[in-house]
Amino acid sequence: MTTTEAQETQSQLASAASTEVIIELNQVNKWYGQFHVLKDIDLVVHKGERIVVCGPSGSGKSTLIRCINRLEETQQGDIIVDGMTLDKNLKNIDQIRSEVGMVFQSFNLFPHLSILENLTLGPIWVRKIPKVEARQLAMEYLERVKIPEQADKYPGQLSGGQQQRVAIARSLCMKPKIMLFDEPTSALDPEMIKEVLDVMVELADTGMTMIVVTHEMGFAKTIADRVIFMDEGEIVEQNEPHEFFNNPQSDRTQLFLSQILSH
Amino acid sequence: MAIVNGEKTAARSAPLTETSFIGWLHKNLFSSWINAILTVVSIYIIYVAVKGIWVWGVEEAVWVAENRRECFKISKDGACWAGVIQWLENIFYGRYPRPELWRVNLGGLLLVVWMAPLWLPRVKNKIFIGLSTVFLYPFLAGYLFAGGDKGIFMQVVVSGAIICLIGNTLHTIIGVFSGGGLPENLTRLLGKTDASDQNQRNTLLAILAAAFVVVFLLQMGWTVEVVPWTKWGGMFLTLVISGIGITSALPGGIILALGRRSRLPVIRVLSTSFIELFRSVPLITILFMATTMFPLFMPEGFVLNKLVQVTIAVCLFSACYMAETVRAGLQAIPMGQYEAAHTIGLGYWGTMGLVVMPQALKHMIPNIVGSFIGLLKDTTLVSIIGLFDILGMLRSISQDVPWRGLHKEPLLFGALLFFIICFIMSKYSRHLEVKLSAGANR
Repeated sequence: MTTTEAQETQSQLASAASTEVIIELNQVNKWYGQFHVLKDIDLVVHKGERIVVCGPSGSGKSTLIRCINRLEETQQGDIIVDGMTLDKNLKNIDQIRSEVGMVFQSFNLFPHLSILENLTLGPIWVRKIPKVEARQLAMEYLERVKIPEQADKYPGQLSGGQQQRVAIARSLCMKPKIMLFDEPTSALDPEMIKEVLDVMVELADTGMTMIVVTHEMGFAKTIADRVIFMDEGEIVEQNEPHEFFNNPQSDRTQLFLSQILSH
Repeated sequence: MAIVNGEKTAARSAPLTETSFIGWLHKNLFSSWINAILTVVSIYIIYVAVKGIWVWGVEEAVWVAENRRECFKISKDGACWAGVIQWLENIFYGRYPRPELWRVNLGGLLLVVWMAPLWLPRVKNKIFIGLSTVFLYPFLAGYLFAGGDKGIFMQVVVSGAIICLIGNTLHTIIGVFSGGGLPENLTRLLGKTDASDQNQRNTLLAILAAAFVVVFLLQMGWTVEVVPWTKWGGMFLTLVISGIGITSALPGGIILALGRRSRLPVIRVLSTSFIELFRSVPLITILFMATTMFPLFMPEGFVLNKLVQVTIAVCLFSACYMAETVRAGLQAIPMGQYEAAHTIGLGYWGTMGLVVMPQALKHMIPNIVGSFIGLLKDTTLVSIIGLFDILGMLRSISQDVPWRGLHKEPLLFGALLFFIICFIMSKYSRHLEVKLSAGANR
């Protein structure tokens, strides 16, 4: 399939979302030393689209989304986010990063700041919002992730699920246009996974553009517009979830699905 | 078949070994025959040592005498503290002119007044107070100690320092009694509470400018006599050199450490070689180089006095050591913290200043205070290159004619002084650690 054809197909898949393109990756290649992590990645994401990326570990899915906000540099290809091309220009990078929220597997809250301060740090120092307004904003999002009563505690005092919800709220406080989730529930105990997924489902309902790397296939089935399967650094298959799970096309996808769905 | 414990067990008091003093003794000191013997022997050794020191240093000691011969006449087996007591002023101030001593004392007092708010819980804007201590106080104190004609630069800085001092003090007093700050109270006093932010800020700036002009005019008439650096000495000199070393070490160390971790090769190589160069040479060598070699590289006619050379050398040396401490602290911060800071749009300085440094500094406190203590003690090396710091003063007692040969007592006294200062520093660092880790780290 040529690049343009690929893009057309991707547009068709994104029928649920708008047709406005917000992220575009063209022939992106990345190496860690000699190791070829990302191979000729073409990806078009439309505004409001919800994408789940899955694949075996080491397949490059985390690297892929980390490239979108430039936590990783790429050696070849273009990445265009919200109309801006990611290049060596530091101003662009900071600008893009403040438009793209990211939630990590290990939460990465700032342990020396209270929950409220974690949330207001970005709005105050990057968006230059007055402190009082920033606090109101933070409380609003804490309500949305259902833990306003924890505002004055420190991250170390919260459970994993609560920390991850704070991390989501912290990203949302920057009013991002895109949210990236890098295995947000992998470090959590089973009973906490649900509370985080609930928050993510609610977020999806607001029309946020989301790219989620996850192994939660139930979540993928309910909210994704498109599921992308990666293996050995390339996108093997992408399809809308119903088709993807019931009628996988490639052998590698079938093998992967049989492995994770066998229990 | 189920095993059921039907009745609740009531709590009983702990056995005597856990609570009573005798129990504690029995458990910790006399738990077996060998332990008992060791305890008795240790107590005997401690008793002998303490008694010896007590008898020599206090019971048999001579406190008042004209010279060492008289000391011997009064008591043969006691310490001769009379010499130390007679030299006390020299030990603290060196040869600083006696009528001018108030300047040194005032300088010390100002430092206490300036920094006291940092320890008072109700005072706000502590960062500003701390910064002004580092950047303005040294100039005011420096002029107070050195005296002479003020250049235009000195006049401006000294005026700034005086205003800052007055402002700080008022701010502190208001803060302690009402919990507010100086700026709010000034606006209230002028009835501008309801004015716009812009208006309030302008008013405050106008007051500041007016105060500056007044202070500037007043200080023009104020000069103090020159005291050449050669007259500085004793504890005073030691504290000046190590104080400057300590205050410049942390910012210098942070800059060097960031440089060493920089992604730009030129900065990285420069910082690394600078750090390694200074760290691999003994301080005494650097001091000699500073006083003998440094002038060779300077243009003809450019003379820096020895004190300045030595101070610069101490600053560079301590900054390099601090850089490694800071680097160790930075490495303890996980990559995820940098990434999280980047993803909310913070740039390099934002990430470092708001996220990484505050966490790293907390890890570093024991090491930082350790190097401060080391620096304070290392400063005594300047006595070797001919500055009369506290060690120089203590040793010159034995060269003074009436006290010829009096070595032990002055050095012991010096050791005691250093111990007190260093012990306070280390206790304070422990307190800081506890206080800072109270917030997070659970």
